[in-house]
Amino acid sequence: MNAPLLSHHVPIGARARGAIRARFSALDGRSALADLYEAGGLRLRFPRNAQTCEAVLVNTGGGIIGGDRAELSFEVDAHADAMITTQSAEKIYRAQNVPAEVALSLRAGAGARLEWLPQETILFEGAKLKRSFALDMADDARVTLLEATTFGRLAMGESSISGMLADRWRLRRGGKLVLADDLRLEESIGATLDRKACGQGARATALFLHLAPEAESLLDLARETLAPATCAWGASAWNGLLAIRLLSPAPETIRAALVPLLETLRGRSAPRVWQ
Amino acid sequence: MITTGMTMRMATSMAESAHLPLAIWLSPAFPVGAFAYSHALEWAVECGAVQDAATLSTWIDDLLRCGSGRNDAILLAASHRAANDAAALIEINELALALAPSRERHLETSAQGAAFVIAMRAAWPCAALDALDGETAYPVALGAAAAGHHVPLAATLEHFLLAFTANLVSAAVRLGPIGQTDGQRVTAGALPAIHATARFALTSTLDDLGSATLASDLASMQHETQYSRLFRS
Repeated sequence: MNAPLLSHHVPIGARARGAIRARFSALDGRSALADLYEAGGLRLRFPRNAQTCEAVLVNTGGGIIGGDRAELSFEVDAHADAMITTQSAEKIYRAQNVPAEVALSLRAGAGARLEWLPQETILFEGAKLKRSFALDMADDARVTLLEATTFGRLAMGESSISGMLADRWRLRRGGKLVLADDLRLEESIGATLDRKACGQGARATALFLHLAPEAESLLDLARETLAPATCAWGASAWNGLLAIRLLSPAPETIRAALVPLLETLRGRSAPRVWQ
Repeated sequence: MITTGMTMRMATSMAESAHLPLAIWLSPAFPVGAFAYSHALEWAVECGAVQDAATLSTWIDDLLRCGSGRNDAILLAASHRAANDAAALIEINELALALAPSRERHLETSAQGAAFVIAMRAAWPCAALDALDGETAYPVALGAAAAGHHVPLAATLEHFLLAFTANLVSAAVRLGPIGQTDGQRVTAGALPAIHATARFALTSTLDDLGSATLASDLASMQHETQYSRLFRS
Protein backbone atom coordinates (compact mmCIF):
# COMPACT_ATOMS: atom_id res chain seq x y z
CA MET A 1 0.00 0.00 0.00
CA ASN A 2 3.05 2.28 0.17
CA ALA A 3 3.51 2.31 -3.57
CA PRO A 4 3.50 5.88 -4.80
CA LEU A 5 0.56 6.99 -6.87
CA LEU A 6 1.65 6.61 -10.45
CA SER A 7 -0.05 9.83 -11.52
CA HIS A 8 2.28 11.91 -9.35
CA HIS A 9 5.20 10.72 -11.40
CA VAL A 10 3.83 11.14 -14.86
CA PRO A 11 4.70 14.62 -16.05
CA ILE A 12 1.78 16.51 -17.53
CA GLY A 13 3.60 16.64 -20.89
CA ALA A 14 3.34 12.86 -21.14
CA ARG A 15 -0.44 13.09 -21.31
CA ALA A 16 -2.16 13.50 -24.62
CA ARG A 17 -2.30 17.02 -26.00
CA GLY A 18 -4.61 17.30 -28.95
CA ALA A 19 -5.58 20.29 -31.02
CA ILE A 20 -7.73 21.04 -34.00
CA ARG A 21 -7.99 24.42 -35.62
CA ALA A 22 -10.20 24.61 -38.68
CA ARG A 23 -11.57 27.49 -40.68
CA PHE A 24 -14.30 27.33 -43.26
CA SER A 25 -14.93 29.89 -45.99
CA ALA A 26 -17.52 30.49 -48.68
CA LEU A 27 -16.07 30.32 -52.17
CA ASP A 28 -18.30 30.83 -55.22
CA GLY A 29 -21.40 30.13 -53.13
CA ARG A 30 -20.02 26.90 -51.68
CA SER A 31 -18.51 26.36 -48.25
CA ALA A 32 -15.15 24.68 -47.99
CA LEU A 33 -12.29 24.11 -45.62
CA ALA A 34 -9.89 27.06 -45.78
CA ASP A 35 -7.37 26.17 -43.07
CA LEU A 36 -6.69 23.10 -40.98
CA TYR A 37 -4.23 22.35 -38.19
CA GLU A 38 -4.26 18.96 -36.48
CA ALA A 39 -2.10 17.94 -33.53
CA GLY A 40 -1.93 14.97 -31.20
CA GLY A 41 -4.49 12.25 -31.75
CA LEU A 42 -7.22 14.51 -33.14
CA ARG A 43 -8.21 14.43 -36.83
CA LEU A 44 -10.95 15.93 -38.95
CA ARG A 45 -12.66 13.93 -41.69
CA PHE A 46 -14.84 15.44 -44.40
CA PRO A 47 -17.60 13.14 -45.63
CA ARG A 48 -19.57 14.30 -48.65
CA ASN A 49 -22.65 16.28 -47.62
CA ALA A 50 -24.91 18.06 -50.12
CA GLN A 51 -26.43 20.37 -47.48
CA THR A 52 -23.42 21.80 -45.66
CA CYS A 53 -19.68 21.47 -45.27
CA GLU A 54 -19.52 18.56 -42.80
CA ALA A 55 -16.52 17.85 -40.58
CA VAL A 56 -16.28 14.77 -38.38
CA LEU A 57 -13.93 14.92 -35.43
CA VAL A 58 -12.02 11.71 -34.75
CA ASN A 59 -10.10 11.04 -31.53
CA THR A 60 -7.60 8.37 -32.57
CA GLY A 61 -6.68 7.97 -28.90
CA GLY A 62 -10.06 6.29 -28.37
CA GLY A 63 -10.97 8.26 -25.26
CA ILE A 64 -9.81 10.88 -22.79
CA ILE A 65 -7.99 10.35 -19.53
CA GLY A 66 -7.11 12.68 -16.64
CA GLY A 67 -4.48 15.22 -17.64
CA ASP A 68 -5.35 15.06 -21.34
CA ARG A 69 -5.94 18.38 -23.00
CA ALA A 70 -7.80 19.07 -26.18
CA GLU A 71 -8.12 22.47 -27.80
CA LEU A 72 -10.69 22.72 -30.52
CA SER A 73 -11.20 25.82 -32.58
CA PHE A 74 -13.67 26.15 -35.43
CA GLU A 75 -14.16 29.33 -37.40
CA VAL A 76 -16.82 29.86 -40.01
CA ASP A 77 -16.20 32.94 -42.12
CA ALA A 78 -18.87 35.29 -43.43
CA HIS A 79 -21.71 33.51 -45.26
CA ALA A 80 -20.07 30.10 -44.97
CA ASP A 81 -21.88 27.07 -43.58
CA ALA A 82 -20.24 24.25 -41.60
CA MET A 83 -21.40 21.44 -39.34
CA ILE A 84 -19.02 19.67 -36.99
CA THR A 85 -19.85 16.38 -35.34
CA THR A 86 -17.89 13.46 -33.86
CA GLN A 87 -17.27 9.94 -35.12
CA SER A 88 -18.27 8.28 -31.87
CA ALA A 89 -19.34 8.97 -28.32
CA GLU A 90 -16.43 10.41 -26.33
CA LYS A 91 -15.34 8.21 -23.43
CA ILE A 92 -13.87 9.89 -20.36
CA TYR A 93 -11.88 7.35 -18.32
CA ARG A 94 -11.09 7.38 -14.61
CA ALA A 95 -8.68 10.15 -13.68
CA GLN A 96 -6.00 9.49 -11.07
CA ASN A 97 -5.66 13.07 -10.08
CA VAL A 98 -5.91 16.00 -12.45
CA PRO A 99 -8.98 16.39 -14.66
CA ALA A 100 -8.98 16.20 -18.43
CA GLU A 101 -9.59 19.52 -20.12
CA VAL A 102 -11.43 20.22 -23.33
CA ALA A 103 -11.61 23.78 -24.63
CA LEU A 104 -13.90 24.53 -27.55
CA SER A 105 -13.72 27.88 -29.26
CA LEU A 106 -16.20 28.77 -31.98
CA ARG A 107 -16.47 31.81 -34.22
CA ALA A 108 -19.21 32.56 -36.72
CA GLY A 109 -18.88 35.56 -39.05
CA ALA A 110 -21.56 37.71 -40.66
CA GLY A 111 -24.36 35.62 -42.11
CA ALA A 112 -22.48 32.41 -41.29
CA ARG A 113 -24.04 29.17 -40.11
CA LEU A 114 -22.16 27.05 -37.62
CA GLU A 115 -23.35 23.80 -36.05
CA TRP A 116 -21.56 21.92 -33.27
CA LEU A 117 -23.38 18.60 -32.93
CA PRO A 118 -21.07 16.06 -31.32
CA GLN A 119 -22.29 12.69 -30.08
CA GLU A 120 -22.65 12.23 -26.37
CA THR A 121 -19.84 12.21 -23.82
CA ILE A 122 -19.78 9.24 -21.43
CA LEU A 123 -18.20 9.72 -18.02
CA PHE A 124 -16.78 6.49 -16.60
CA GLU A 125 -16.50 5.91 -12.85
CA GLY A 126 -13.89 8.34 -11.48
CA ALA A 127 -13.81 10.53 -14.58
CA LYS A 128 -12.83 14.16 -14.11
CA LEU A 129 -13.53 16.56 -16.93
CA LYS A 130 -13.38 20.33 -17.30
CA ARG A 131 -14.85 21.76 -20.47
CA SER A 132 -15.19 25.27 -21.79
CA PHE A 133 -17.39 26.38 -24.67
CA ALA A 134 -16.70 29.85 -26.03
CA LEU A 135 -18.65 31.32 -28.90
CA ASP A 136 -18.14 34.62 -30.66
CA MET A 137 -20.79 35.17 -33.31
CA ALA A 138 -21.91 38.00 -35.56
CA ASP A 139 -25.36 39.49 -34.93
CA ASP A 140 -26.86 37.83 -38.00
CA ALA A 141 -25.02 34.50 -37.80
CA ARG A 142 -26.88 31.28 -36.97
CA VAL A 143 -25.38 28.85 -34.52
CA THR A 144 -26.65 25.51 -33.22
CA LEU A 145 -24.91 23.85 -30.27
CA LEU A 146 -25.50 20.53 -28.60
CA GLU A 147 -23.84 18.79 -25.69
CA ALA A 148 -25.16 15.47 -24.35
CA THR A 149 -23.59 13.78 -21.35
CA THR A 150 -24.11 10.34 -19.81
CA PHE A 151 -23.02 9.69 -16.23
CA GLY A 152 -21.59 6.17 -15.95
CA ARG A 153 -21.55 3.06 -18.13
CA LEU A 154 -25.07 2.18 -17.16
CA ALA A 155 -25.11 -1.14 -19.06
CA MET A 156 -22.04 -2.23 -17.07
CA GLY A 157 -23.71 -1.51 -13.74
CA GLU A 158 -22.01 1.85 -13.18
CA SER A 159 -25.22 3.32 -11.85
CA SER A 160 -23.93 5.97 -9.44
CA ILE A 161 -20.52 7.33 -10.33
CA SER A 162 -18.14 9.61 -8.51
CA GLY A 163 -15.95 12.08 -10.34
CA MET A 164 -16.13 15.64 -11.57
CA LEU A 165 -17.70 17.52 -14.43
CA ALA A 166 -17.34 21.27 -14.83
CA ASP A 167 -18.78 22.83 -17.97
CA ARG A 168 -18.44 26.54 -18.62
CA TRP A 169 -20.38 28.15 -21.48
CA ARG A 170 -19.76 31.74 -22.55
CA LEU A 171 -21.67 32.69 -25.69
CA ARG A 172 -21.26 36.14 -27.20
CA ARG A 173 -23.19 37.71 -30.03
CA GLY A 174 -21.92 40.98 -31.46
CA GLY A 175 -19.49 41.10 -28.51
CA LYS A 176 -22.29 40.92 -25.92
CA LEU A 177 -22.58 37.96 -23.55
CA VAL A 178 -26.01 36.48 -24.28
CA LEU A 179 -25.76 33.17 -22.47
CA ALA A 180 -23.54 31.79 -19.72
CA ASP A 181 -23.97 28.42 -18.11
CA ASP A 182 -21.79 26.79 -15.48
CA LEU A 183 -22.49 23.17 -14.65
CA ARG A 184 -20.58 21.79 -11.68
CA LEU A 185 -20.92 18.23 -10.46
CA GLU A 186 -18.37 17.06 -7.95
CA GLU A 187 -17.51 13.93 -5.97
CA SER A 188 -20.64 11.79 -5.61
CA ILE A 189 -22.17 12.72 -8.95
CA GLY A 190 -24.74 9.92 -8.76
CA ALA A 191 -25.96 11.00 -5.30
CA THR A 192 -26.17 14.63 -6.43
CA LEU A 193 -28.15 13.65 -9.51
CA ASP A 194 -30.59 11.77 -7.27
CA ARG A 195 -31.49 14.98 -5.46
CA LYS A 196 -34.84 16.57 -6.28
CA ALA A 197 -33.69 19.94 -7.60
CA CYS A 198 -30.58 18.46 -9.28
CA GLY A 199 -31.40 15.44 -11.38
CA GLN A 200 -34.38 13.60 -9.85
CA GLY A 201 -32.54 10.36 -10.57
CA ALA A 202 -31.25 11.33 -14.01
CA ARG A 203 -28.12 9.72 -15.44
CA ALA A 204 -28.04 11.68 -18.67
CA THR A 205 -28.60 15.26 -19.71
CA ALA A 206 -28.36 17.39 -22.82
CA LEU A 207 -28.33 21.06 -23.61
CA PHE A 208 -29.42 22.18 -27.06
CA LEU A 209 -28.99 25.83 -28.04
CA HIS A 210 -29.94 27.68 -31.15
CA LEU A 211 -28.87 31.30 -31.62
CA ALA A 212 -30.24 33.06 -34.68
CA PRO A 213 -32.36 36.06 -35.62
CA GLU A 214 -35.40 33.74 -35.90
CA ALA A 215 -34.48 31.51 -32.92
CA GLU A 216 -37.26 32.68 -30.58
CA SER A 217 -39.93 32.03 -33.21
CA LEU A 218 -38.96 28.32 -33.20
CA LEU A 219 -40.14 27.76 -29.62
CA ASP A 220 -43.58 26.37 -30.51
CA LEU A 221 -42.09 24.06 -33.13
CA ALA A 222 -39.55 22.82 -30.58
CA ARG A 223 -42.30 22.06 -28.05
CA GLU A 224 -44.40 20.25 -30.66
CA THR A 225 -41.41 18.19 -31.74
CA LEU A 226 -40.57 17.29 -28.15
CA ALA A 227 -44.14 16.45 -27.12
CA PRO A 228 -43.80 12.67 -27.70
CA ALA A 229 -40.42 12.48 -25.89
CA THR A 230 -40.22 10.12 -22.93
CA CYS A 231 -37.46 12.04 -21.14
CA ALA A 232 -38.00 15.20 -19.07
CA TRP A 233 -37.51 18.30 -21.20
CA GLY A 234 -37.98 22.03 -21.11
CA ALA A 235 -37.76 24.66 -23.82
CA SER A 236 -37.46 28.41 -23.51
CA ALA A 237 -36.62 31.35 -25.74
CA TRP A 238 -35.25 34.78 -24.81
CA ASN A 239 -32.29 37.01 -25.72
CA GLY A 240 -32.55 35.91 -29.37
CA LEU A 241 -31.90 32.29 -28.52
CA LEU A 242 -33.73 29.02 -28.06
CA ALA A 243 -32.60 26.74 -25.21
CA ILE A 244 -33.70 23.17 -24.62
CA ARG A 245 -32.70 21.03 -21.66
CA LEU A 246 -33.27 17.30 -21.43
CA LEU A 247 -32.88 15.08 -18.39
CA SER A 248 -33.43 11.34 -17.99
CA PRO A 249 -32.37 8.19 -16.13
CA ALA A 250 -32.12 6.57 -19.61
CA PRO A 251 -29.67 8.12 -22.12
CA GLU A 252 -31.43 6.46 -25.07
CA THR A 253 -34.58 8.50 -24.40
CA ILE A 254 -32.56 11.69 -24.75
CA ARG A 255 -31.03 10.54 -28.00
CA ALA A 256 -34.51 9.58 -29.27
CA ALA A 257 -35.78 13.06 -28.43
CA LEU A 258 -32.80 14.81 -30.02
CA VAL A 259 -32.93 13.21 -33.48
CA PRO A 260 -36.30 14.71 -34.54
CA LEU A 261 -35.27 18.00 -32.94
CA LEU A 262 -32.07 18.05 -35.00
CA GLU A 263 -34.19 17.70 -38.13
CA THR A 264 -37.19 19.99 -37.56
CA LEU A 265 -35.33 22.91 -35.99
CA ARG A 266 -32.49 22.91 -38.48
CA GLY A 267 -34.61 22.18 -41.55
CA ARG A 268 -32.11 19.58 -42.70
CA SER A 269 -31.38 15.97 -41.89
CA ALA A 270 -29.64 15.06 -38.64
CA PRO A 271 -25.95 14.21 -38.94
CA ARG A 272 -25.57 10.63 -40.17
CA VAL A 273 -23.81 9.60 -36.97
CA TRP A 274 -26.90 10.71 -35.03
CA GLN A 275 -29.42 8.73 -37.06
CA MET B 1 -21.72 65.72 -5.68
CA ILE B 2 -24.99 65.18 -3.86
CA THR B 3 -24.85 61.37 -3.91
CA THR B 4 -21.38 61.21 -2.36
CA GLY B 5 -22.32 63.65 0.38
CA MET B 6 -25.41 61.66 1.17
CA THR B 7 -23.49 58.38 1.20
CA MET B 8 -20.98 59.75 3.66
CA ARG B 9 -23.67 61.18 5.89
CA MET B 10 -25.49 57.84 5.93
CA ALA B 11 -22.28 55.93 6.58
CA THR B 12 -21.60 58.05 9.64
CA SER B 13 -25.09 57.78 11.00
CA MET B 14 -25.18 54.01 10.44
CA ALA B 15 -21.84 53.20 12.00
CA GLU B 16 -23.50 51.68 15.03
CA SER B 17 -25.96 49.48 13.15
CA ALA B 18 -24.43 48.82 9.77
CA HIS B 19 -26.71 45.84 9.10
CA LEU B 20 -29.99 47.61 9.68
CA PRO B 21 -30.59 48.73 6.06
CA LEU B 22 -30.59 45.04 5.04
CA ALA B 23 -33.75 44.48 7.06
CA ILE B 24 -35.37 47.22 4.98
CA TRP B 25 -33.99 46.35 1.52
CA LEU B 26 -34.70 42.63 1.94
CA SER B 27 -38.05 43.01 3.63
CA PRO B 28 -41.03 41.65 1.65
CA ALA B 29 -42.34 45.25 1.84
CA PHE B 30 -39.44 46.64 -0.19
CA PRO B 31 -40.92 47.25 -3.66
CA VAL B 32 -39.07 44.70 -5.80
CA GLY B 33 -42.10 42.44 -6.21
CA ALA B 34 -40.34 39.31 -4.92
CA PHE B 35 -43.73 37.77 -4.02
CA ALA B 36 -44.53 37.39 -7.74
CA TYR B 37 -41.72 34.88 -8.37
CA SER B 38 -41.57 31.25 -7.27
CA HIS B 39 -38.22 30.45 -8.93
CA ALA B 40 -39.90 27.42 -10.60
CA LEU B 41 -41.24 26.12 -7.28
CA GLU B 42 -44.77 26.39 -8.69
CA TRP B 43 -43.89 23.75 -11.30
CA ALA B 44 -42.06 21.62 -8.72
CA VAL B 45 -45.29 21.54 -6.69
CA GLU B 46 -47.42 20.90 -9.78
CA CYS B 47 -45.35 17.86 -10.81
CA GLY B 48 -45.08 16.52 -7.26
CA ALA B 49 -41.33 17.03 -6.76
CA VAL B 50 -42.23 19.26 -3.80
CA GLN B 51 -45.23 18.02 -1.83
CA ASP B 52 -44.53 18.57 1.88
CA ALA B 53 -42.13 20.20 4.32
CA ALA B 54 -39.44 17.52 3.85
CA THR B 55 -39.33 17.78 0.05
CA LEU B 56 -39.48 21.58 0.21
CA SER B 57 -36.51 21.56 2.60
CA THR B 58 -34.36 19.45 0.28
CA TRP B 59 -35.40 21.51 -2.76
CA ILE B 60 -34.34 24.75 -1.02
CA ASP B 61 -31.19 23.10 0.38
CA ASP B 62 -30.14 22.13 -3.16
CA LEU B 63 -30.66 25.68 -4.44
CA LEU B 64 -28.67 27.13 -1.54
CA ARG B 65 -25.77 24.69 -1.61
CA CYS B 66 -25.35 23.87 -5.29
CA GLY B 67 -27.78 25.97 -7.30
CA SER B 68 -28.91 29.52 -7.96
CA GLY B 69 -28.61 30.56 -4.29
CA ARG B 70 -24.91 29.71 -4.38
CA ASN B 71 -24.35 31.38 -7.76
CA ASP B 72 -26.24 34.52 -6.77
CA ALA B 73 -24.22 34.71 -3.54
CA ILE B 74 -20.99 34.54 -5.58
CA LEU B 75 -22.26 37.26 -7.93
CA LEU B 76 -23.37 39.41 -5.00
CA ALA B 77 -19.95 39.08 -3.36
CA ALA B 78 -18.15 40.01 -6.60
CA SER B 79 -20.42 43.04 -7.03
CA HIS B 80 -19.85 44.16 -3.45
CA ARG B 81 -16.10 44.10 -4.04
CA ALA B 82 -16.39 45.82 -7.43
CA ALA B 83 -18.72 48.60 -6.24
CA ASN B 84 -16.09 51.27 -6.92
CA ASP B 85 -15.04 49.86 -10.28
CA ALA B 86 -17.74 50.67 -12.84
CA ALA B 87 -16.19 48.59 -15.65
CA ALA B 88 -15.89 45.49 -13.45
CA LEU B 89 -19.42 45.93 -12.12
CA ILE B 90 -20.84 46.18 -15.65
CA GLU B 91 -19.04 42.97 -16.59
CA ILE B 92 -20.36 41.11 -13.53
CA ASN B 93 -23.86 42.34 -14.31
CA GLU B 94 -23.62 41.11 -17.90
CA LEU B 95 -22.51 37.69 -16.62
CA ALA B 96 -25.27 37.54 -13.99
CA LEU B 97 -27.96 38.30 -16.58
CA ALA B 98 -26.52 35.77 -19.04
CA LEU B 99 -26.50 33.05 -16.37
CA ALA B 100 -30.31 32.97 -16.22
CA PRO B 101 -31.26 29.50 -17.47
CA SER B 102 -34.64 30.42 -18.98
CA ARG B 103 -36.87 33.32 -20.01
CA GLU B 104 -38.70 33.45 -16.67
CA ARG B 105 -35.57 33.26 -14.56
CA HIS B 106 -34.14 36.08 -16.69
CA LEU B 107 -37.29 38.08 -15.99
CA GLU B 108 -37.11 37.23 -12.28
CA THR B 109 -33.63 38.62 -11.79
CA SER B 110 -33.88 41.57 -14.22
CA ALA B 111 -37.33 42.82 -13.13
CA GLN B 112 -36.40 42.66 -9.43
CA GLY B 113 -33.05 44.24 -10.24
CA ALA B 114 -34.73 47.12 -12.08
CA ALA B 115 -37.28 47.67 -9.30
CA PHE B 116 -34.54 47.55 -6.66
CA VAL B 117 -32.44 50.14 -8.49
CA ILE B 118 -35.42 52.50 -8.86
CA ALA B 119 -36.37 52.20 -5.19
CA MET B 120 -32.77 52.66 -4.08
CA ARG B 121 -32.17 55.70 -6.28
CA ALA B 122 -35.25 57.31 -4.78
CA ALA B 123 -34.62 56.57 -1.12
CA TRP B 124 -31.03 55.31 -0.76
CA PRO B 125 -28.92 56.89 -3.51
CA CYS B 126 -25.28 55.89 -3.78
CA ALA B 127 -22.57 56.29 -6.42
CA ALA B 128 -22.12 52.51 -6.79
CA LEU B 129 -25.55 52.14 -8.36
CA ASP B 130 -24.87 54.79 -11.00
CA ALA B 131 -22.75 52.34 -13.00
CA LEU B 132 -25.75 50.03 -13.40
CA ASP B 133 -27.66 51.52 -16.29
CA GLY B 134 -30.20 49.46 -18.17
CA GLU B 135 -30.96 45.82 -17.43
CA THR B 136 -29.65 44.86 -13.99
CA ALA B 137 -29.46 41.51 -12.21
CA TYR B 138 -30.89 41.66 -8.68
CA PRO B 139 -27.92 40.22 -6.69
CA VAL B 140 -25.55 42.56 -8.54
CA ALA B 141 -27.65 45.62 -7.68
CA LEU B 142 -27.92 44.51 -4.04
CA GLY B 143 -24.18 43.81 -3.73
CA ALA B 144 -23.22 47.18 -5.22
CA ALA B 145 -25.76 49.09 -3.10
CA ALA B 146 -24.66 47.36 0.10
CA ALA B 147 -21.04 48.27 -0.56
CA GLY B 148 -22.09 51.81 -1.48
CA HIS B 149 -23.72 52.15 1.93
CA HIS B 150 -20.85 50.46 3.79
CA VAL B 151 -22.93 47.45 4.76
CA PRO B 152 -20.56 44.52 5.35
CA LEU B 153 -20.51 41.72 2.77
CA ALA B 154 -20.93 38.85 5.25
CA ALA B 155 -24.19 40.22 6.64
CA THR B 156 -25.44 41.10 3.15
CA LEU B 157 -24.88 37.53 1.97
CA GLU B 158 -26.70 36.02 4.95
CA HIS B 159 -29.67 38.37 4.72
CA PHE B 160 -29.89 37.90 0.96
CA LEU B 161 -29.93 34.10 1.22
CA LEU B 162 -32.42 34.25 4.09
CA ALA B 163 -34.74 36.48 2.03
CA PHE B 164 -34.38 34.11 -0.94
CA THR B 165 -35.34 31.19 1.32
CA ALA B 166 -38.20 33.02 3.01
CA ASN B 167 -39.62 34.00 -0.37
CA LEU B 168 -39.58 30.37 -1.52
CA VAL B 169 -41.23 29.25 1.71
CA SER B 170 -43.87 31.94 1.37
CA ALA B 171 -44.54 30.80 -2.20
CA ALA B 172 -44.89 27.20 -0.99
CA VAL B 173 -47.41 28.28 1.66
CA ARG B 174 -49.47 30.08 -0.98
CA LEU B 175 -49.22 27.07 -3.31
CA GLY B 176 -50.63 24.79 -0.67
CA PRO B 177 -48.25 21.91 0.09
CA ILE B 178 -47.36 23.29 3.54
CA GLY B 179 -48.95 25.52 6.16
CA GLN B 180 -47.53 28.53 8.03
CA THR B 181 -46.09 26.50 10.90
CA ASP B 182 -44.29 24.05 8.65
CA GLY B 183 -43.06 27.04 6.66
CA GLN B 184 -41.34 28.42 9.75
CA ARG B 185 -39.77 25.01 10.42
CA VAL B 186 -38.40 24.88 6.87
CA THR B 187 -36.95 28.39 7.18
CA ALA B 188 -35.32 27.52 10.49
CA GLY B 189 -33.95 24.30 9.02
CA ALA B 190 -32.36 26.20 6.15
CA LEU B 191 -30.10 28.28 8.39
CA PRO B 192 -27.09 25.88 8.27
CA ALA B 193 -27.14 25.95 4.44
CA ILE B 194 -27.53 29.74 4.48
CA HIS B 195 -24.54 30.11 6.82
CA ALA B 196 -22.42 27.65 4.84
CA THR B 197 -23.09 29.26 1.47
CA ALA B 198 -22.65 32.80 2.81
CA ARG B 199 -19.33 31.78 4.39
CA PHE B 200 -18.19 30.16 1.15
CA ALA B 201 -19.23 33.14 -0.99
CA LEU B 202 -17.33 35.55 1.25
CA THR B 203 -14.00 34.38 -0.20
CA SER B 204 -15.29 33.14 -3.55
CA THR B 205 -14.38 34.41 -7.00
CA LEU B 206 -16.35 34.31 -10.24
CA ASP B 207 -14.34 31.21 -11.10
CA ASP B 208 -16.34 29.37 -8.40
CA LEU B 209 -19.61 29.81 -10.29
CA GLY B 210 -21.30 26.52 -10.98
CA SER B 211 -24.61 24.84 -10.42
CA ALA B 212 -25.86 21.26 -10.23
CA THR B 213 -29.58 22.05 -10.12
CA LEU B 214 -30.49 20.90 -13.61
CA ALA B 215 -34.01 19.87 -12.58
CA SER B 216 -34.75 23.29 -11.12
CA ASP B 217 -33.49 24.98 -14.30
CA LEU B 218 -35.61 22.63 -16.37
CA ALA B 219 -38.62 23.29 -14.11
CA SER B 220 -38.30 27.02 -14.79
CA MET B 221 -38.77 26.22 -18.49
CA GLN B 222 -41.66 23.84 -17.84
CA HIS B 223 -43.37 26.51 -15.74
CA GLU B 224 -43.80 28.63 -18.90
CA THR B 225 -46.50 26.29 -20.18
CA GLN B 226 -48.10 25.44 -16.83
CA TYR B 227 -51.88 25.66 -17.26
CA SER B 228 -52.82 27.57 -14.14
CA ARG B 229 -50.25 29.90 -12.57
CA LEU B 230 -50.01 32.22 -9.56
CA PHE B 231 -46.40 33.21 -10.18
CA ARG B 232 -44.36 34.86 -12.94
CA SER B 233 -41.60 32.25 -12.59
